[in-house]
Amino acid sequence: MDGLHDLFTVGFATALTYQNLLWALIGCTLGTAIGVLPGVGPAVTVALLLPVTQSIDPTGALIMLAGVYYGAMFGGSTTSILLNTPGEAGSIVSALEGNKMAKAGRGGPALSTAAIGSFIAGSIATLLLTLLAPIIASLTLKLGPVEMFALMMLTFAAVSAVLGNSPLKGVISLLIGLGIGLIGIEQQSGQARFTFGSAALLDGIDIVVIAMGLFAIGETLYTATYENHLKARVESLSGRFWMSKEDWKRSWKPWLRGTAIGFPFGTIPAGGTEMPTFLSYSAERKLAPPEVQKEFGKGAIEGVAGPEAANNAAVTGTLIPLLTLGIPTSATAAIMLAAFQQYNIAPGPLLFDTNPDLVWGLIASLYIGNVMLLILNLPLVGLWVQLLKVPRPLLYGGIVVLATMGAYALRQNWFDLLLLYIVGLMGFLMRRYEFPVVPLIVGLIVGPMAEKFFRRAMSIHQGDLTVFLTQPISLTLLIITLAILIVPSYLKRRQNYLTKA
Amino acid sequence: MLKRATGEQWIALGVILISLIMAWQITGISQSTGYAGVGPRFFPSVIAAGLLITGVILFIQSRPSKHPVTEAQTQDPDHPLDYETPQPNWRMFGIASAALILHMSLISTIGFTLAGTILCFGICLALETEHKLRDLVLSFLLALGLFHLFKWLGLNLPALITGGFI
Repeated sequence: MDGLHDLFTVGFATALTYQNLLWALIGCTLGTAIGVLPGVGPAVTVALLLPVTQSIDPTGALIMLAGVYYGAMFGGSTTSILLNTPGEAGSIVSALEGNKMAKAGRGGPALSTAAIGSFIAGSIATLLLTLLAPIIASLTLKLGPVEMFALMMLTFAAVSAVLGNSPLKGVISLLIGLGIGLIGIEQQSGQARFTFGSAALLDGIDIVVIAMGLFAIGETLYTATYENHLKARVESLSGRFWMSKEDWKRSWKPWLRGTAIGFPFGTIPAGGTEMPTFLSYSAERKLAPPEVQKEFGKGAIEGVAGPEAANNAAVTGTLIPLLTLGIPTSATAAIMLAAFQQYNIAPGPLLFDTNPDLVWGLIASLYIGNVMLLILNLPLVGLWVQLLKVPRPLLYGGIVVLATMGAYALRQNWFDLLLLYIVGLMGFLMRRYEFPVVPLIVGLIVGPMAEKFFRRAMSIHQGDLTVFLTQPISLTLLIITLAILIVPSYLKRRQNYLTKA
Repeated sequence: MLKRATGEQWIALGVILISLIMAWQITGISQSTGYAGVGPRFFPSVIAAGLLITGVILFIQSRPSKHPVTEAQTQDPDHPLDYETPQPNWRMFGIASAALILHMSLISTIGFTLAGTILCFGICLALETEHKLRDLVLSFLLALGLFHLFKWLGLNLPALITGGFI
């Protein structure tokens, strides 16, 4: 119970100072507001705020960014329920049933079950994080560079092969990200790589430029080119707002089941919230009594309660590998890691010893943030609904202006704007040809770390490459990596073969 | 029979091209004796090779199908058959691109506020706004507001008149 002790002595003492409470509140509010805007997910939101946080102290900044991360999740569900255009992968499922509920005049209960479910799942998952993180951190302390490198390979394989519908496209996206990560001065030899003789590239390409380019610029170009005719309608919040007794009875089990499904998924490097939310949805559908089963597809409250809980639990779960190993498993976590790096803080097993007030303050602020978000999203939901009425052209215009500003503010150099546009074109093509973006972001951030661990491992073991196969932990990790890459395509081929036969 | 390359094949060619550019750039990295034989060239070489291989596989996989019937069978169950790529509107793509390029080339001379107004309004046009005047005014107000917000936060953006209101 060391975790609980540290949480109460160090964590809440840090998080409950009035500055940090204010940062948490700003983060949660901004996160909800931007999360509500259709087409803007948590990754963009965190990236947009990175340049702003440079002048804040690390603890306050990370507390704010964590609030944004959480808030964008809460806000995203409001959008998917009322507008049926999910802002991020994790709320696709809640759009299925939630939007149907809203169309049937049950928007209020849908929003309530989403918010309360997110709150419960977030709180349970944060408690699990509190208890598990110190234990996992002390275990990972024993991992050497060989094991860390193998673990990063596993992460790469998982994010590229598991997400999206084509592992090949995932791997290409990952390799592009790894390649972009190489640009700039190489740390050990001091040599410039892939700078094409340009001084502006010596520092590498900033994550803000990549994230903004891919998500904001790429998305805008895509919408302008392909989706102008799409007109989404905002459902109004008519009818009873609060959940009835019946709604509560039908919601609490899905909340808990969703949490149980979501949290483990967040902790493993299988990346993201898409899988657990889909799993939770199909679990609820199967477990529902026959009379409720008929409601699925027409607006069953279980189909909102479960996936929303799973989504939030998974998001909290991703903090375990991020804080204890320093390995991000989702795009948003990767950008959070960049925020740590901005302050020269390396998350990992040592973080709990070197920066206890930061790490425990951050965890304590998650409990507080959850309460803030419940209040912000239930009684004040009407406020956020107004945001959905911002005309789409202006919304995208505003996002693009913010994105260019974020890229430009870094160095006040128009070259960064050019890079932003080029990355935007890349994002446009990736969107058009259905390449997943997460592997690129994870590769960009984790790639340089993987290279460092690889070379460290090589220097310890005198350049003996077989060391990755002779050490048991590393061998196991690499076998899993290979399995992740091969098994899905094998199964698909087999299935195709069977359906043809 | 030669068929027109599919869009995906162009992407595959692009990936192969990137790997070749990387290979060419790697020759420019001097192979200093990194300890234990792993120098600064090693990782780039692995990635370039990976891109070349995956690019070639994608090129082969995305060949136009000879049997149109099988194409329907291999459809992903998540994407029902009625899923079609919508018609692109390249004029709107051009307007959005023009706004971005104008913005980057003008920002240091006409300042953040005016360049931002052009950019925001340009994106509104690209998204087929029905209220041009309203959006122009709001674009200006947004850019001006952001300029002053960031000035207040201690982040100086270029102005039309140094230290001025816009």
